[in-house]
Amino acid sequence: MQTIRSLGADLVAISPELPDNTLTMAEKHAIPIDILSDATSEVLKKYRLWFAVPEEVKTLYLEKFGLNLGKYNGAGRWELPVPATYVLDRGGIVRAGEADPDYTVRMEPSEIVAAIRKIAEKHSM
Amino acid sequence: MSLKKQLAEFDASRNRPPEVVAILRRGIAYARESGAAGLRIGERAPDFTLPSQRGEMVRLSDRLSRGPVVLNFYRGVW
Repeated sequence: MQTIRSLGADLVAISPELPDNTLTMAEKHAIPIDILSDATSEVLKKYRLWFAVPEEVKTLYLEKFGLNLGKYNGAGRWELPVPATYVLDRGGIVRAGEADPDYTVRMEPSEIVAAIRKIAEKHSM
Repeated sequence: MSLKKQLAEFDASRNRPPEVVAILRRGIAYARESGAAGLRIGERAPDFTLPSQRGEMVRLSDRLSRGPVVLNFYRGVW
């Protein structure tokens, strides 16, 4: 994350969760990135990452994991994004990215840094 | 070690019962088939304004005016 910042890029995280009420204001200000709340799933849908959690998984979360997603997200929204990372240039164009429904897979930080470096090179030319 | 490898090792270390793993796998397959494939490389990311954990309204286009942005969509802190 330090590397991303040092290259002049910003890091923004988005989830469908309601704003966190468990942190104090001081703690919230101490978090070095912006964590945004898409409480209507509107942005998730715009980015074509939205899906409704299937009934079978909902039951598993509730009964086996004690996880009430509808409460975290508010308004009983059993909705999630496909986990995704996008590197945007200053024009808002996606220059690199990865979206994978398998939430145990994530984009390699080294690839994110490489994409930002490439954008920075173009910008300085 | 790559992040992908670390995450795979972590997931394997959880030793979940096969019936639980089967449901989670079907859930992933469902999300894949739902057609939620995200943005394409070269596409313009839609602008948005959303509240941050500090209660400030954050607009993507404002951030982009300062430099490149890495956007991360995640499921939640649970």
